[in-house]
Amino acid sequence: MPHSTPEQLALAALGEPLPDTDAAHLAGCAQCSAEVAALRRPVEVLAVPELAGTAPEVTPPPQVWTAIAAATGVSAVPPSSGAEVVPPSSGAEVVPLRPRRSRTRWLTIAAAVLVGGVVGGGAVALTRDEDGSGSVVATAALDPLPAEDASGRAEVRDVDGVRSLQVDLDAPSLPDGYYEVWLLQPDAVRMVPVGAVHRGDTVLPLPDGLDLGAYPLVDVSVEPMDGDPTHSGVSVARGSLQR
Amino acid sequence: MTALSRPHLPAMRPYGREVVREVAPVPAAGPSDAEIARRFCAGDEQALAEAYARWAGQVHGLAVRAFGPGPDAEDVTQQTFVAAWTGRAGYTPAAGPLPAWLVGICRHKIADTWAKMARQRRSAEAAAADARARPRAADADRVDDAVADRVLLLGELDRIGQPQRRIIELAFFADLTHSQIAARTGIPLGTVKSHIRRTLERLRDRLEVDGAALHP
Ligand SMILES: [Zn+2]
Repeated sequence: MPHSTPEQLALAALGEPLPDTDAAHLAGCAQCSAEVAALRRPVEVLAVPELAGTAPEVTPPPQVWTAIAAATGVSAVPPSSGAEVVPPSSGAEVVPLRPRRSRTRWLTIAAAVLVGGVVGGGAVALTRDEDGSGSVVATAALDPLPAEDASGRAEVRDVDGVRSLQVDLDAPSLPDGYYEVWLLQPDAVRMVPVGAVHRGDTVLPLPDGLDLGAYPLVDVSVEPMDGDPTHSGVSVARGSLQR
Repeated sequence: MTALSRPHLPAMRPYGREVVREVAPVPAAGPSDAEIARRFCAGDEQALAEAYARWAGQVHGLAVRAFGPGPDAEDVTQQTFVAAWTGRAGYTPAAGPLPAWLVGICRHKIADTWAKMARQRRSAEAAAADARARPRAADADRVDDAVADRVLLLGELDRIGQPQRRIIELAFFADLTHSQIAARTGIPLGTVKSHIRRTLERLRDRLEVDGAALHP
């Protein structure tokens, strides 16, 4: 019997079943088998499950669009698909984030929410109490939001069941206004004010009973001295509390 | 707290959820996929946002499958859309729908990230080998070669014209048989078969010339 056609051998390399006569020939023909083996090499390289075209859809976290918008300079906003509004939680006192500046700005900061491994209810101590400053139960690296120049680190400490937030902030000095720290829910709509912070280290008490699992984001905002207790809408650094 | 009024304003919509494409594969409202693709190519910024709202879940799904949820997958998704936007002149409707093109870019970014991880692992191992004079495992070399070959062949795919490229992508990544490809694309069966043959030869040749596995 003659050799299989080049096209049939290519289909064999892709793993398609061959007509019986071709299959029988291939089993006994070293030349055709070698040809299939050579054509299989690119198939083995590329036709791997990790590159296959279908995977379960996963919604990227909001900071992905923020980064795309920043990299492309595009200020358009992905259209809404009618997401539901998270109801106010009971317990902790919360204030809605009220944008005092532009809506665009608000969308930028809201989109910059970081959702990482979230702190659960029963946070486990990361470090032992060595010097009386308590055990560190969670930490957050505070990363600058796009076009901002502030960063730092936040630690939740626990001394005998009383929690505090220690913030180490590296940020420009403000000619007027001040930095304030907030704990945000992942949607960045609900938040708890924690207090004003200086550049450098500041230790702030955390409200008793505040569920850090529900408010996992540490947000640093710039607040004007205008007597308005709500968030200015201008965040400069943010990070997700991790155990 | 009573002295300070807490103005009650309608809560802003949580932005992060808005990118979810719900259940229906074809959105009931809004511009068609083809319309978004056309405006995307024309540089309409809103079309980038709409493309993201519609297809980021698909792209990110691939990235998460490759790397698990987290920064690596997020970087891949981000790079995919940024590269698509800056390279939008390279898209033609003949290459298939815009989401398929985005997925093709995502594949590149996944392979590039694998390669970057392999480089980082190599340099970490080199540092450790300097300290401990331990030879590198042969397994690790094989993994690195596979990664390098993927980057090489994805690059070669980019140089293949249409419809050959679309045909081979459907065979490789959608696991379609040649007759399914013919049905999907409307290209005659014999033409599909000969394109598959020539494309496999071309990719094989590229591996033989530049492939990492044969040229360590
Ligand atoms: Zn033969």
